[in-house]
Amino acid sequence: MPIIEVNHLTKEYQLGHIISLKENVANAYRRMAGKAIHKREDFKALDDVSFSIEQGEVVGIIGHNGAGKSTLLKHLANISKPTKGNVIVRGSVAPLIEVGAGVNPELTGRENIYLNGAILGIPKKIIQQKLDEIIAFSELEQFIDTPVKRYSSGMTVKLGFSIATSLDADILIVDEVLAVGDLAFQRKCFDRMEDMIKRQGKTVLLVSHNIRQIQRLCNRVVLLDHGRINMDGEPQAVCDNFYEQSDRKIKANINSVQTGTEDSGEIELIEIYFSDHTGQRAEKLFYNHNCSIHFKINVLQVLEEVTFGFGFHTTDFLYLTTHNSEEQLCINHLTEGYHEIKCKIFQLPLLPGIYSVRFGITAGKAARDVFYGESLKHFMVAGDIPITKRDGFFALDAHWKLENNKATELQIISMAEA
Amino acid sequence: MIKMVKNLYNYRELIAALVWKNIVIRYKQSYLGILWAVLKPIMLMLIFTLVRSFVGIDTGNIPYPILTFAALLPWVFFQESASEGVNSVTSNAALIKKIYFPREVFPITAMVTKIVELAISFGILGAMMIYYKMMPTVYSLWVPIVVFYTMMVALGISFFGAAINVYYRDMSQALPVVLSLLMYGSPVMYPLSLVHQKLIVEQAAGHWSNNLYTLYTLNPLAGIIDSFQRVMLKGLAPDFEALYPGVVLTLVILPFSYVFFKRAENWFADVI
Repeated sequence: MPIIEVNHLTKEYQLGHIISLKENVANAYRRMAGKAIHKREDFKALDDVSFSIEQGEVVGIIGHNGAGKSTLLKHLANISKPTKGNVIVRGSVAPLIEVGAGVNPELTGRENIYLNGAILGIPKKIIQQKLDEIIAFSELEQFIDTPVKRYSSGMTVKLGFSIATSLDADILIVDEVLAVGDLAFQRKCFDRMEDMIKRQGKTVLLVSHNIRQIQRLCNRVVLLDHGRINMDGEPQAVCDNFYEQSDRKIKANINSVQTGTEDSGEIELIEIYFSDHTGQRAEKLFYNHNCSIHFKINVLQVLEEVTFGFGFHTTDFLYLTTHNSEEQLCINHLTEGYHEIKCKIFQLPLLPGIYSVRFGITAGKAARDVFYGESLKHFMVAGDIPITKRDGFFALDAHWKLENNKATELQIISMAEA
Repeated sequence: MIKMVKNLYNYRELIAALVWKNIVIRYKQSYLGILWAVLKPIMLMLIFTLVRSFVGIDTGNIPYPILTFAALLPWVFFQESASEGVNSVTSNAALIKKIYFPREVFPITAMVTKIVELAISFGILGAMMIYYKMMPTVYSLWVPIVVFYTMMVALGISFFGAAINVYYRDMSQALPVVLSLLMYGSPVMYPLSLVHQKLIVEQAAGHWSNNLYTLYTLNPLAGIIDSFQRVMLKGLAPDFEALYPGVVLTLVILPFSYVFFKRAENWFADVI
């Protein structure tokens, strides 16, 4: 039996303010008089959402702002009630929805541990047993008897997270909490989450805008879009789909406002395009094939000592590669007018996915920036790749070998027996 | 109703923790601490005593200050639990939006918090009784029942008011006004025997008198305050004639109010 079942869940909110008492009375009068009543516009935050989650699944929920992620979690945590449909949860829920919701600034850290424990429904005995562990995890030993109002915001969140994760529930609902604290603490939170997922076999629902985190932790991802389930399945596929969607949205934004680039006005970028190994223009490139990238520019003022550079990055701006022309191409004098620069790429090492191009031009002895832009062109890499190198961004040219000595041989035999 | 009691039991630790939080927060960083809680009935008692020296209210053989303090005790408890109760849901908006537990925990917590303050006031009443050389009688065993009844009355208002207040904040504005009016309609400044004297004995309002008296005692506080004074100071059993109209009203209102609250509860997180 699934641990969570959501059947045709629909949630409507009324837009605008709550109508005043006067309006209510007026509506009641209109109803009695048989006239049309003034109704406010409805907004469907969730629209006929159905899915079920089995025990031990780790499900990521992604989507744009306003897609209904948090509303969905609120229904699972029983905070909101559906307009239509129903939600069945078979087990206790630990809602880590914005940790530290119950943290009171006037109380000390220690007092807050007890209070929040009670709010989350942890029996006092358990809290007393776990007190030291919670304090140790929060790294706040020194400040635990200081009122929380004198804490930094990071400290408050650390405290909140430590309390919330000490709760022993069947289902964990996590809403954007891993983006807290310094890097070391984030790491610790992440490890604790992984521990709960992998070793304790808890069912986890995770909402995050950090898609990489989702990909790493989850074994299933649900993509919400305008209150509907857009896609539900294997993390890689869903996340790729989401990247594409985001891209389209980003592109639409860029086209409308043109803010993605900085240029000094000496040059104009006309077009960036790719050609594949046959020399044909291509929108889609293939892994491990040769290709070329072309930049068409219009030089408005004569430029001295020009260097071109480009790089690939993911749609969330993780820089993957760069290459510049400094050592290969020596342009002392670039005349006005149209030019096209071509750079040949051998055996494209990018694994299938969606990537983006950034491009820059510098000129002069001091290599001042003439042009620089990111996300200038999105492209897709396709191709069949063996399962051995599916994860990541690059293929590694590697070779495995078994060194034949007695010790490893024995190990292999024992593994085979097991 | 049974469900409410069950919930109350299941969430007793939460209620205890929230009550403790309310008290700690309220008096942290204040020098006099929880003594502030009893300042209100003491001040009112002093003012009423002063006023009484001009207008003259007959209180029988019981000194006026202690009689009015014994009236203020249940009154202030009721008034504060009701007004805190009405605000209890909206003032915990952050929790309501993030974590689920039965929402009646909030009005109940507000009331239990006031019990702690009531206990301190009792200490002062005890001191006054020693000063006036009054001995508690066996009838003071009625006190827990009277206090419990007061709690039910306060909850009847809190549940309904708190739910309304989530939608229309007018409630938290209107309630103090209504309650301060109700104080004059309750035997706080004057004893109930005075009202009884005027209406029942003297029939001051003609043939309306008996009905008016019933109407007056329909206010549960009339019965509560009178009973409290009788069992604590006069050594008498409660006057059931003065009590029953209020009890009936409370028994009607409380279940309705609770059901109303539970229904409205579903939308708290969306509206608050």
